[in-house]
Amino acid sequence: MESLTILVVDDDPVIRRLLQQRLKNEHYSVMVANDGYQAERLLKKQHFDVVLTDLVMPGDIGGIEVLEITKELSPDTEVVLITAHSSVDTAVAAMKKGAADYLEKPINFDELFLRMDKIANLKSILKSAKDIGQAMSITEAEAASTIQNLEMTVAKLQTRLDEVETALRDRTKAEDERIANAIDILTGE
Amino acid sequence: MIKISPDELKVVAQYIHDISGIHLDQSKSYLFETRLSSIAEASGCSSYRELQQKAKQDPAKKLERAIIDAITTNETLFFRDKGPFELLQHKLLPEMIDARTPKSGMMKTNIRIWSAAASTGQELYSIAIIIKELLRDLSKYNISLLGTDISDAAIAQASYGKYNKFEIERGLDRAVLQKYFSLFGDSWKIKDEIRSMVNFRKLNLMQPFTALGKFDIIFCRNVAIYFTLQDRTKLFNKIADSLADDGYLVIGSTESLTGVCSRFVPKRHLRAIFYQKS
Ligand SMILES: C[S@@+](CC[C@H](N)C(=O)[O-])C[C@H]1O[C@@H](n2cnc3c(N)ncnc32)[C@H](O)[C@@H]1O
Repeated sequence: MESLTILVVDDDPVIRRLLQQRLKNEHYSVMVANDGYQAERLLKKQHFDVVLTDLVMPGDIGGIEVLEITKELSPDTEVVLITAHSSVDTAVAAMKKGAADYLEKPINFDELFLRMDKIANLKSILKSAKDIGQAMSITEAEAASTIQNLEMTVAKLQTRLDEVETALRDRTKAEDERIANAIDILTGE
Repeated sequence: MIKISPDELKVVAQYIHDISGIHLDQSKSYLFETRLSSIAEASGCSSYRELQQKAKQDPAKKLERAIIDAITTNETLFFRDKGPFELLQHKLLPEMIDARTPKSGMMKTNIRIWSAAASTGQELYSIAIIIKELLRDLSKYNISLLGTDISDAAIAQASYGKYNKFEIERGLDRAVLQKYFSLFGDSWKIKDEIRSMVNFRKLNLMQPFTALGKFDIIFCRNVAIYFTLQDRTKLFNKIADSLADDGYLVIGSTESLTGVCSRFVPKRHLRAIFYQKS
C-alpha cells in the first residue's frame, strides 16, 4: 500500500513540528503549512490524501475554511480537524460539511495513527473497487460490441429472409421466376 | 447462516419468481443463503420454508418487500456504458424534440421518458443531466422523467438522491459532480434543479403497466437478464405497447432482443444500438 500524503495545517510551531515528526516516523509523507493561506497555496499546487488542520487559526482562513477550500479543490481529499474540547460542537458541524473526523487536543498520537490507518484502508478499498469496476467495464464493453454486431447481422439476415419469403410467395409470377428472384436476393447485395 | 435444503430451494425459487419475476439458478444455493439468511434470522424463522410461508401470509407485505430488496441486484452507475447517453444526447433527444415540437409556436414540446428499472436512480439522473445540459432553458418543454423499480429500498434512495463516495466515484466526472451535486456530510446529494425534473415510484414489471401511458423514450436496461426467456418476451411485448409508434427503446449494452421480441428492429448509431417498433 502506498503511504498517505498528509498536509498539516497549524499556526502553533511546536504542534506543527511534533505532528510532522511523529507522522514521518510512521512513514507518512508530510508537508506543513503555518496558516490557512499557505495551506490554500499548497492545495492548489498538489494533491493530498489527507489535510490535518487546526480548527482555530488567526486570519480569515480557519479550519472550517480550509475544509471548504479542500473539498472545493479536491473532493476526495479527507479533512481531519484538530479542536479544543470546548469547540467540539463546531467540529461536529464541520463533519456535516464533509470533514472525515476530528481529534481533540491534547492530541493522542495512537488515536491519530489509527484514524490515518482507517483513511488509508478506505482509500485502498476505493481504489480496488475502481480497478475492478474498470476491468469489468472493459470486459463488458467488448462483450457489448460483439453482441451488438451479432444483433445487427441477425436483423439484416432476417430482412433478407423476409424478402426471400415474399418473392417465393409472389403469385403473380411463375414458379421458375419466383425461384430465380429468390436466388437473386440470396446471392446479390 | 441458515442452510437451505433442496426441497426448500424449489419452493423459495418459485416464490421469488412469483413476486418479482426473478429467476434464480437453483444450483446456486449460496445465492439464496447469502441474501436471505439475515432476513430469516431477523424475523425469527429457523428455515427458509418458514420464512416463505410467513412472507406469503403477511397482509402488510413487509417481509415480501424485505425479500425483494435482498434478492434484487441494484448494481448501477452514473452514465453506465457511456454509449446510450451519447446516443440520447446526439440522436434520440434532438430527433424526438423535432418530432414533438408543435407547428404553432405557443405550445410546449411534450416528451415522456421512462427508466423502467431505475434502481437507485443513477440512470434517470444521468438522463436528466443530459437534458439539462442540452436544453438549458426548459421552459419551452414539458419533459417528464419517470423512474420505476420493484425495490422499495432502491426507490427510496433514488428519491432522496443521496450517494456515497463509492457510488459517486463511478461514472461521474468532477465538473458534473460540482455542478449538479452538493456535499452532504460524507456523501453527495443531487441538486434540486435536477431532482425536480424526475419522479420515482414502485412498479413490478411483471404486472401490467398500461396505466403509465405511452412513452417516447424507454430505457429498460439490465433487468430482463434476471428473467426467463418467456418472461422477457412478455415484458418487451408490453413495452412495445407502452412505446409511441415513433418512440425509442434502449436496452442494456450486453442484452439482445433476438429471439425475444420481433416487434422491435435494432438500429445502430455510433457505438450504441437502439430499437424502434417495426
Ligand atoms: C442491475 S439494476 C439496473 C439498473 C439500471 N437500469 C442500469 O442499467 O444501471 C436492476 C434493477 O432491476 C430491478 N428489478 C428486478 N426485478 C424487477 C421487476 N420485476 N420489476 C421492476 N424492477 C425490477 C431491481 O430492483 C434492480 O434495481
